[in-house]
Amino acid sequence: MNEQLQQLKDLALSEIACVKSEEDLQALRVRFLGKKGELTAIMKGIGALSPEERPLIGQVVNSVRDSLEEGFTTASAVLKESLKAQKLTCEKIDVTLPGRRAAPKGTKHPVTLVIEEICDIFAGLGFMVAEGPEIELDYYNFEALNFPKDHPARDMQDTFFVQNNLLLRTHTSPVQIRTMLKQEPPVRIIAPGTVYRCDYDATHSPMFHQIEGLMVDKGVTFGDLKGILTIFTNQMFGSDIGVRLRPSFFPFTEPSAEVDIACVICRGKGCRVCKNTGWLEILGAGMVDPEVFRHVEYDSEAFSGFAFGMGIERVAMLKYGINDMRLLFENDVRFLSQF
Amino acid sequence: MKVTYNWLKEFVDFDLSPEVLSELLTMLGLEVESMEHIGADLDDVIVALVEERAQHPNADKLSLCRVNNGKEIISVVCGAQNFKSGDKVALAQVGCTLPGDFKIKRSKIRGEESCGMLCSEKELALADESAGIMVLPADLPLGTPVFEALGIKDVLFEIGLTPNRADCLSVIGIAREIAAKLGKKVRYATHDIPETGAAITSIASVEILDPDLCPRYAARFVSGCTIAPSPQWLVNRLKAVGQRSINNVVDITNYVLMEYGHPLHAFDFRQLSGGKIIVKRAAEGEKFTTLDGQERALAATDLTIRDAGRAVALAGIMGGENSEIAADTADILLESAYFNPSAIRLTSKRLGIHTESSHRFERGADVQIVTTALDRAALLIAELAGGTIAKGTIDEFPAPQTEKRLTVRVSRVNSILGLHLDETTIAKIFTSLEFDVVSSGTGILEITVPSFRVDIEREIDLVEEVARLHGFENIPPTMPVAQVFSDRIPRYQILEREVKNYLAGAGFNEVINFSFASHNDISKLNFPAADKRSSAVALLNPLVDEHAVMRTTLLPALLQTAAKNFSLRNLNLRLFEMRRVYWVKPGQELPDEPLHVAGIMTGLRMSDAWNQPKDLVDFFDLKGVVESLTALFKIPELSFVAGGVEPYYHPGKAAAILCNGQLLGTLGEIHPDVQEAFEIEKPIFYFELDFATLVELSSATPLVTAPSRFPDTYRDIAMLLDADTPSAAVVDCIKAIRSDKTRAVEIFDLYTGDKIPAGQKSIAVRVRYGSFEKTLTDEEVSKVHQKIVNSLISEINIKVR
Repeated sequence: MNEQLQQLKDLALSEIACVKSEEDLQALRVRFLGKKGELTAIMKGIGALSPEERPLIGQVVNSVRDSLEEGFTTASAVLKESLKAQKLTCEKIDVTLPGRRAAPKGTKHPVTLVIEEICDIFAGLGFMVAEGPEIELDYYNFEALNFPKDHPARDMQDTFFVQNNLLLRTHTSPVQIRTMLKQEPPVRIIAPGTVYRCDYDATHSPMFHQIEGLMVDKGVTFGDLKGILTIFTNQMFGSDIGVRLRPSFFPFTEPSAEVDIACVICRGKGCRVCKNTGWLEILGAGMVDPEVFRHVEYDSEAFSGFAFGMGIERVAMLKYGINDMRLLFENDVRFLSQF
Repeated sequence: MKVTYNWLKEFVDFDLSPEVLSELLTMLGLEVESMEHIGADLDDVIVALVEERAQHPNADKLSLCRVNNGKEIISVVCGAQNFKSGDKVALAQVGCTLPGDFKIKRSKIRGEESCGMLCSEKELALADESAGIMVLPADLPLGTPVFEALGIKDVLFEIGLTPNRADCLSVIGIAREIAAKLGKKVRYATHDIPETGAAITSIASVEILDPDLCPRYAARFVSGCTIAPSPQWLVNRLKAVGQRSINNVVDITNYVLMEYGHPLHAFDFRQLSGGKIIVKRAAEGEKFTTLDGQERALAATDLTIRDAGRAVALAGIMGGENSEIAADTADILLESAYFNPSAIRLTSKRLGIHTESSHRFERGADVQIVTTALDRAALLIAELAGGTIAKGTIDEFPAPQTEKRLTVRVSRVNSILGLHLDETTIAKIFTSLEFDVVSSGTGILEITVPSFRVDIEREIDLVEEVARLHGFENIPPTMPVAQVFSDRIPRYQILEREVKNYLAGAGFNEVINFSFASHNDISKLNFPAADKRSSAVALLNPLVDEHAVMRTTLLPALLQTAAKNFSLRNLNLRLFEMRRVYWVKPGQELPDEPLHVAGIMTGLRMSDAWNQPKDLVDFFDLKGVVESLTALFKIPELSFVAGGVEPYYHPGKAAAILCNGQLLGTLGEIHPDVQEAFEIEKPIFYFELDFATLVELSSATPLVTAPSRFPDTYRDIAMLLDADTPSAAVVDCIKAIRSDKTRAVEIFDLYTGDKIPAGQKSIAVRVRYGSFEKTLTDEEVSKVHQKIVNSLISEINIKVR
């Protein structure tokens, strides 16, 4: 019987070693260790043994069973490992295929992006955003800003009119007047908005955007205007971008200045964009004219201030390298998606 | 304003390169917009000597010349006949390019070698026409560039003047600025007038009948002139600044205009009836032909210069055809006057005539320069047209203008500019600008403004002069010292950005359309006549019909944008626009300008990709966007109400969005008729919300409730109900069972089709139950659940499936 058991053990272990699948292994387990298995069959003969022999054979049976159990466990683990390894080698995806996205990326309009950026820069300097109507009274758009009655800008050639004294604002400067009429100094505002002029070609749009800044307080100087605009241009266009102010003329500021930055394309060397001057005009600015203060009943002896305004489209075109302003309002998704 | 480097040098000494001068002018506020080196590209056209002119052996009309270029003798074939051996000529050497991109090459003409070309004035762009080649003065040095030898080589500056600087509309004016900046003096000429013959007063008379429009009128009489072409130097000068040469007398008036900035006019004296000049407003409707040959109908506000019987000039704007200088004119009455700027502007604008003269008068000429400019022109006419100047000047100056005196405080200058200049420095600046200054060390300067500075009227104008001359570049940038504000960014401004961020994040591209619309665009939306959106704010002067009114809704432009994108094969669109619309507000000073946010969706729901279903967007995609947006704003209790929403929606696929009865906006599928009207062939889903209402309804995050520590359970109900019963009724009915155990309700399935009875639909809802005290038992849940089912059966007549 002992011999029988040894033979069974050897047979079972050799068969286990050859097994290729978990199913086959399970079948072997049933065949050798199952209730009707071969080991059970041999054990049926124990009853015929002498009482002395029985414990000895029992020990052999247990040891054979343990060996087989161990054999099965090991084989099963090996099988699992090899299956896993095989699976990992087979399972492959093409990681270069595009990912699954609910919808294509949306974008904000470049004009919005530039307005937000400028407002953020000035928010850091303590300037609050102010707004005003686009359909505006002549008084706020021209009169209070010291435009003489027969100024060319007040002509139907340049300005859209709704009625005699009602027009589409031609600049964001009326917001200065509305703000100053509403509050006493100190004033620090930035006013982005839509403006309109009767012009339509590659460089002019009948509707465009401006942003206006105004600071009024005791002792505000032209030097302060330079300081604030230098900070702004450095933050907007880079700290290494040169700035210059040169004398100009606006009815509502005096002294008035045009503000140029070193050409962002050629860095001041001269190119087509800056017409070989090395400079790009981006802002109009100046000290608030006493006549404007008179209209809003501010004491121009006690307070002084500066104002500045710039075209958003111009900044957007420079920032993003757009060469035709009309692209901004054509709303071709292939253009808009790039922002 | 155009001015040249050499011309400026006649009036002020400077040794700045053109580039440095350009920078100096720009920094003075006289922006140099462009700089052109006249003749610089023609350095290869040199002075050459014709050693021998011989007949070309093979061509009758050509000559074969041996030409000395200063270094060697070369052979040149020439077709012109107006020169001879020994003449100095302009030789375009091989390799140079003449105006009109005409390249000079070595060539063989009828078998003879030609190493260059002898040029005409026309070929060098010095004249419009020329009869033959240019024969140069004999004393020009051989081999030097022709333009240099003739003094034509110059640098032209085009200056963009601001409208306040009328004083710089002249060479002298700009020279004055340079002199002031460099601390030099302008060389003003003194005119020693050789007067002969009778006194002018015995020949002509001037009467000003409208002195309000003409405060000063001066005249000189020059007799015996010969009208002829101008000398080359005069032609060149005028040409350099863009003026065409007419004849010597007219050119002189133009030359003096450029030099002094003062417009003059020369009359053919024999045409002036009675030898009289009368300055007077025109009769209303009077016909007058200006010297450009146009007949003009004058108004009673137009100032005219008249003789004894008729108008002979439109004052300060243009002369009359009836008295212009003719080829046989001999006696000339020369006018130099000062006209009221507003009157000139009015007439010039009304008649649409803009001339060098009107340009200066309407900006404000110098009333004190009147006789100086007159003398300068008379002298030149005498010199160049051989005339005799009569004795004396007529100078009608009914109300001589007083000098402008102003004071400026040193402290004011410094406090505005942020500088620390002393009184002497400031006084010096004004002196350099030819202002008279009384400086008494009191900190207050008394200034007399020169008559040419019509722009200086107030102390602040003087402050600006100090800033300009001191140099903006020399004012140090500083940071203002200011109070800290307690204001914070208003909520609506934050929310405006949030809306844009959300929609961009949800895959929408922001568009910006013009605020304009056409009547037709709006009428396509079928608003009833009483709807405020059908009566738009109209423009008096639109550029085009498509821009006739201000838009009352964002829809038309978004549909047009969609159509445009479709035509560009951009088929899957999610666009939004957040802009104002404009509504007429009767009885209010200004129209309303509410800020709206609108969007469209069309095309594929997901990205058009290998791993995405190709489903198209529908109403619920858009509704989801609106719901998420309102969720972001924490707007409670939103309801979507169908029926009679907007005329531009599909009647069965649109909803009004309400919050506690307040209308926030609408959404839906665009009506097929509207779609068709905008030439769109695919379904489009649209929403438009009022931003102010959105802000008003929005709330801050409320106090939160800690979730129960015990797990929730779910129970589903599948039911059949009438197809017309809105699903919201089911949800509302469940919510109406106010049990502390119900947590949430969700519709998770919907079926309509042939597997259920006609007129019915199948809905499945999942109700979530929970408790803060314990894990609910089946029995406890069932009790509430049954109550819900019973209520659904009794309230909205469902059948449990």
